[in-house]
Amino acid sequence: MVNDSGQLYTMEGVAAGLVMIITAYFVLNTTSIYTPGDTHITDMQLEQLASDALAMMDTPEAEGAESPLHSFVRLNDGAGFRTMFLDCCKLRAGGIDDNLHMNATIFYCDRSHDEIKSYSFGLSDVATGRESAVRVSRWVQLNTRPSGAPGTVSNQYPVLLVEVLVWRG
Amino acid sequence: MAGLNEEGQWIVLMGLLVAIGMFFLALIINQSALVGQTTAESVLEFPKSDIRDLRSEMDDLVGVLRPLSSGTQSTVLNVVRDDISALSLARKNAVVDFSLTGPEDVAGVLYYRTEFHYNNGVTAYDETAYF
Repeated sequence: MVNDSGQLYTMEGVAAGLVMIITAYFVLNTTSIYTPGDTHITDMQLEQLASDALAMMDTPEAEGAESPLHSFVRLNDGAGFRTMFLDCCKLRAGGIDDNLHMNATIFYCDRSHDEIKSYSFGLSDVATGRESAVRVSRWVQLNTRPSGAPGTVSNQYPVLLVEVLVWRG
Repeated sequence: MAGLNEEGQWIVLMGLLVAIGMFFLALIINQSALVGQTTAESVLEFPKSDIRDLRSEMDDLVGVLRPLSSGTQSTVLNVVRDDISALSLARKNAVVDFSLTGPEDVAGVLYYRTEFHYNNGVTAYDETAYF
């Protein structure tokens, strides 16, 4: 004969079992707790933003024309590059401008010594080294050495890699 | 339960069900941060823009080479390829190589056949394109 007088005890047993399983689950997971602020989501968004800004600057305004990025590198106009890059990145619709900082460096291959060298491209913001910065880069091919560039940059079709470090300050 | 009133059992049962439901919702919220983390890491790790930039440089290079004589073309191609390979290795930890052949007449337009190879140890990419 079925007797239902033990129902509440059964439920209590089930509840206690669940509590034990949940406790074990949390204990085993304590090594991998992520908080939203700890994730790389903001880094990913910043990298995409900076990468898009560089791609936009590397696009000529008319068919066959020179792109702004190409022109800035050719004339070694780091200040102009910086202004345009930050303008492209900082603009927000309906809010105050984003607080972005950047630091641009141009890398090139010293063909006579077979070495990779670099020179600073324009004014750079001072980084403390603790910022969560992302790096984006873009190739620039020139026909001759840029006017203010170091003499070790080849004068015959040099390839330059523009690297920009971007961080929120 | 002898001697006890059992009228409240349904209330206790519903309380238990609601508690279990809340636990699973909390679990989903807990996992969402983890999902965002791993997705963002994958996106950051995948060299999408590196490969696209390389492809765009091939296009630019063909534009530079097109008006040159064939002797100058191979000289320029060699120095540019050496530069791009060396810079990719040093700054992007990627092995990059490419070759250009042509021009080939495709439906009346002269195209250069470009084969390029990209490998950063995690992602390998090969493409043949006509520019």
